[in-house]
Amino acid sequence: MSDVEALYTANHGRLFRYFCRAVGHIEDARELTQDVFVRVSRSVIPIGPEEALRGWLFQIARNLALDHRRSRHRRPHVEVLTDHALRPASQDTGAQVNEALAALSELDRDVFLMREVAGLGYNDIASACGLSPDAVRNRIHRTRQQLRLQLSGQIATRRAAPMRRTGRD
Amino acid sequence: MNDTHEVISAFLDDEPFDASELATALSDPAGRALLIDLVALRHIVQPDALVPPSLPGRRPAWRHLLAAAAMVIALVGGYFIGVRRNTVDTTEPPVPSRIVQANDWQSLPAGGGR
Repeated sequence: MSDVEALYTANHGRLFRYFCRAVGHIEDARELTQDVFVRVSRSVIPIGPEEALRGWLFQIARNLALDHRRSRHRRPHVEVLTDHALRPASQDTGAQVNEALAALSELDRDVFLMREVAGLGYNDIASACGLSPDAVRNRIHRTRQQLRLQLSGQIATRRAAPMRRTGRD
Repeated sequence: MNDTHEVISAFLDDEPFDASELATALSDPAGRALLIDLVALRHIVQPDALVPPSLPGRRPAWRHLLAAAAMVIALVGGYFIGVRRNTVDTTEPPVPSRIVQANDWQSLPAGGGR
């Protein structure tokens, strides 16, 4: 298995989930996930442990997501986070989650999504976003507090159903 | 950030934490509520679409097999159709499938009626 294939096997699911929420459109998320590995295949892959490579991969992913958002905002018609496939529980919940995420700053949203959706550790996120691990911890905490308030209704509903600590059913 | 929130976040994120601080945090109802709310929040932000794309430039092996099988079938089928056409007997005229009888003959002037 080549280095690119190994990286792909270990990370494509995380990247895809991150893109799903970061750009809000499933087909764009698929394309962007592939774009990450197109870039990787044209790059010299840094030598290091898997965790360090993950930070590098998500740095590429974050740049692609930022470019994608900017290009989308230049288009006359902007469709924000409305893909049916992205509805976590119901259409209402999905729309409210998307609105709450869209209201965050780009950096806070990326840090939060890398942690909660992609499952990265603080060090990986710090590497991907050019922050210190302490700054990552603070941003995640602050974002959680903000979303806890904004999505209190959805959280209360979700509490009634069985849950896993990972957040995946 | 207060310690209750910090230790609960660390526990939730699989980061190092102080067990006694966590015990203290979870002895408080507000701490327990926070922990459960954050797990619920994690659930509701997960995207449902979990079918990631395939590696660019690579296709599953079954697609190659299917394409090869289709090509073999086309080649073999074309060969047999060609063989069958070549073995049709050309010494006998074909059997008529329809007979048209002309009852009223018309005499045309010389030159074909022009």
